[in-house]
Amino acid sequence: MTADLSRAALETGEVLVVERLGGGLLELVARLPHLAANAMPGTFAQLRCGTSTTPLLRRPFSVAWTHDDTCGFVFEAVGAGTRLLAALQPGDPLDTLGPLGNGFSVVDSGSVVCVSGGLGCAPFPLLINALRRRGVEDILVLNGARTATRLYPAERFARPAVPVVAEATDDGTRGHHGPVTELLQQALSSRPTAIYACGPNAMLGAVMGTLLESGADLPPTLEASLEAPMGCGFGTCLGCALPVLGEDGVTVWRLCCTDGPVMPMRDVDWDGLRALPGADVA
Amino acid sequence: MTENAPGSVDLGRGLTLPNPVGLASGTAGYGFELEQLIDINRLGALYTKGTTMDARAGNPPPRVAETGGGMLNSIGLQNPGVDAVATTYAPRWTGWSIPIIVNIAGGSVDEYVHCVSVLEPVSEVAGIELNISCPNIAQGLDFGRDPAEAARLVAAVRAVTQRCVIVKLSPNVTDIAAVARAVEDAGADAVSAVNTYIGRKIHRATGRSVLPLGTGGLSGPAIQPLALAAVAAVCDAVHIPVIGVGGIIDAASARDFLIVGACAVQVGTATFVNPETALQVLDGLRVDDY
Repeated sequence: MTADLSRAALETGEVLVVERLGGGLLELVARLPHLAANAMPGTFAQLRCGTSTTPLLRRPFSVAWTHDDTCGFVFEAVGAGTRLLAALQPGDPLDTLGPLGNGFSVVDSGSVVCVSGGLGCAPFPLLINALRRRGVEDILVLNGARTATRLYPAERFARPAVPVVAEATDDGTRGHHGPVTELLQQALSSRPTAIYACGPNAMLGAVMGTLLESGADLPPTLEASLEAPMGCGFGTCLGCALPVLGEDGVTVWRLCCTDGPVMPMRDVDWDGLRALPGADVA
Repeated sequence: MTENAPGSVDLGRGLTLPNPVGLASGTAGYGFELEQLIDINRLGALYTKGTTMDARAGNPPPRVAETGGGMLNSIGLQNPGVDAVATTYAPRWTGWSIPIIVNIAGGSVDEYVHCVSVLEPVSEVAGIELNISCPNIAQGLDFGRDPAEAARLVAAVRAVTQRCVIVKLSPNVTDIAAVARAVEDAGADAVSAVNTYIGRKIHRATGRSVLPLGTGGLSGPAIQPLALAAVAAVCDAVHIPVIGVGGIIDAASARDFLIVGACAVQVGTATFVNPETALQVLDGLRVDDY
């Protein structure tokens, strides 16, 4: 099935600020009227990093939030592309293509848990805003990171009313000392009706493992935003394959960019995903 | 369209491209995504994703890796198979003015002949491009490396189609001109050059190849001078039309291919970066460029 790209467009925006949040987390804010008007929670934009042929490919980023005609993106300067984005100055142009991909199914009732690992925080402000607009108030954010300074600030998950955010750090510098999945174990006692997860693929696999080991019924809405090395972002290069369980239980490849990045967690072949080599950060 | 806009290109056997700028195989799928993003019908040709007799799931990921000025891919010819292309995809091309040239790949002469035969009655197909040079499947390169094998394949395909047959050449050979001459003698109407260069990238943290099969095909602006040398050699060797492809990112890098004798070009990897690149190339070329 061909992806619906009817909302996607090339748009050159204007950088307003690149804010240092601490611990290496950065928030890029740009005036992008088309993207701001069309991004759905969980969709992403392909950002051009610099104007040279190296790095060549755009980089995919979740649209973290929108406000009027501006969009926010959360990232870390870990490679050649993100270092160029980190160096952007107010007034610089930002070459974007988006929105792309399938986003989260936004429920309109029940209790919601958002599980974030590291930069997996990125899609949640926009999602939480959309949930609130549909009247969902019972929202718990479980936010995990390696250390305190790398936790996305709780007050940024939603404005003005901050949702309940429980934090976990691998080194115990803030919140629960341990993986965010241990917070999820506790949260399952409240029987959430929707769980959304975003983070490194290994962390998402651990989220699914935690759910299955709990023995509780899986919530009706159970979705994760996955990642894969991506060429084009719009379904033509076929580069961003992920293992997904087909109807007969046999693993098939689906594209992260147009079949995802958000996928039902029940559909993902988590063993197959775990077996893949780690990402190569250029 | 300006007075000096590039004109049509006659590739033979009734296939005339409305202009010289096409979308390269493997970078445009079957057109259905790009059709939503750009005015695809302004372009000279769409060369489809490599299509095989049977559907192929493709290679395990990671399938792409970025390199300096380029990218490696090891997609493994993921495609729905020629029957699906003929019955499901082709009707969706009805009404498109851009010529659709279906790229065919296979592991044997019989597979190529089968695919071309299936497409022969499909009116939406304007031409055939034989991919004898995919670096990412077993056997995919054999036809491209050996002039005699390439000629045998082209002759067999020639016997089952009245359509224009373009042969896409591999640069991963000692003498690309020899392969070009062999396919010309065997009845090819045109050649396109080049496919990707075999490349490898090592994961700096693990010391292992990034791509699971070790190597992949290198594309992007890094290969443009290499492709240009290969295309110049092919143009010197044959009398049939030559389509230049490899690392084009703008009108200037496309013009280089026309200067060395190509009559048309294909834009590939640059479409990933900017879906409008081929249109920008078209708008930047002038008739006196070639």
